[in-house]
Amino acid sequence: MNELLYVYAVTRPFEGGVPAAATGVGGLPARPVEHNGLVAVVSDVRAEDFEEAPLRERLEDLEWLAATARAHESVVRAVIAVTGAVPLRLATVCRGESGVRRLLDEGNHRFTTNLDRLEGRVEWGVKLYAEPDPEPDRAPATAPAPAPGQQTHGGEGAASPGRDYLRRRLRSRQSREKSWAHADALARRLHTELSRCADGQRLHRPQSGQLARASGVNVLNAAFLVRREESDAFVGQVERLTPRDAGVRVELTGPWAPYSFADLSDPPDAPPPSHQDEQEAHEGRAGT
Amino acid sequence: MSAQGNGTESPRRRVELDPDTVERDLARLVLTVVELLRQLMERQALRRVDTGELTEDQEERIGVTLMLLEDRMDVLRDKFGLEPGDLNIDLGPLGPLLPRGD
Repeated sequence: MNELLYVYAVTRPFEGGVPAAATGVGGLPARPVEHNGLVAVVSDVRAEDFEEAPLRERLEDLEWLAATARAHESVVRAVIAVTGAVPLRLATVCRGESGVRRLLDEGNHRFTTNLDRLEGRVEWGVKLYAEPDPEPDRAPATAPAPAPGQQTHGGEGAASPGRDYLRRRLRSRQSREKSWAHADALARRLHTELSRCADGQRLHRPQSGQLARASGVNVLNAAFLVRREESDAFVGQVERLTPRDAGVRVELTGPWAPYSFADLSDPPDAPPPSHQDEQEAHEGRAGT
Repeated sequence: MSAQGNGTESPRRRVELDPDTVERDLARLVLTVVELLRQLMERQALRRVDTGELTEDQEERIGVTLMLLEDRMDVLRDKFGLEPGDLNIDLGPLGPLLPRGD
């Protein structure tokens, strides 16, 4: 039993098996591995991709990473449709079913606490983007050349194009600063108000660079843990807090499996399990 | 990047120096540095205008200089087919080299 198994999520035993819709990484079906009152949802994966060394390289490959993340999400989504689940980190791999059982044993306490805490709850993601006026003055602002001899308002005219330019730049800088301040205040308000109607919240690092495909600058990237039956109210609250004015954009995503709230770190009193020697389970760390 | 997995370097952080694009890439690098300096100068100038420590004459001269510099940058950017957003480098955890939204 040396083949590698990809572990998507851990649940309590549930009826009916893993939904057929759950197609795992590489198109292979996901199946349950039950052990000691817990169930790991797994699928077979190719060693060429998931052995420790090739995996490290694979994780640098954005396209591969995206496909893997989609498969991961599709299985987790299918599973949480039928039972409460703790989603595992992307690319958690065990060696054979014995490796899976060991993972369940070592993490038994963590998994059960998380299952209790996350039961009946989903995650909503709220992002705020600031979209300040790109360059209000950048247009052919030099164009309005006053007719000869004509004095423009305030005595600043064609005679001092340099000073006019500086003034325009100053104004545009100030207006930009104002819109940043506005977005900042809204981010705080969203976070405070939404935290009130959620069971938990996590602030993620705002996305930038390659991950930020959307327009605008991501100024808030938060996740909220919400009871399933309170989701409608939560969504309503987000809509209420979303301003109509231009310059900012609120993006709500979900409901997700509670990825951000599955706390699988080791409790401080327990010694860290030594995976490295045996390579029984290695976890890829995908930058979020 | 599926078969040729022997490069240890991450594919997205590599500086591409292709013979066909080397000129444009170098121009981009140089213009990025110039753009950074231009923005620093402008910022400094605006601060000094704000505090009123410059004579009207000095303000005028600085303003014209910055204006011409901006025009010139536009021309150079066009020449190498670069967008304003291209003159920015993602420094990873430190954020973008040039301030956001500028």
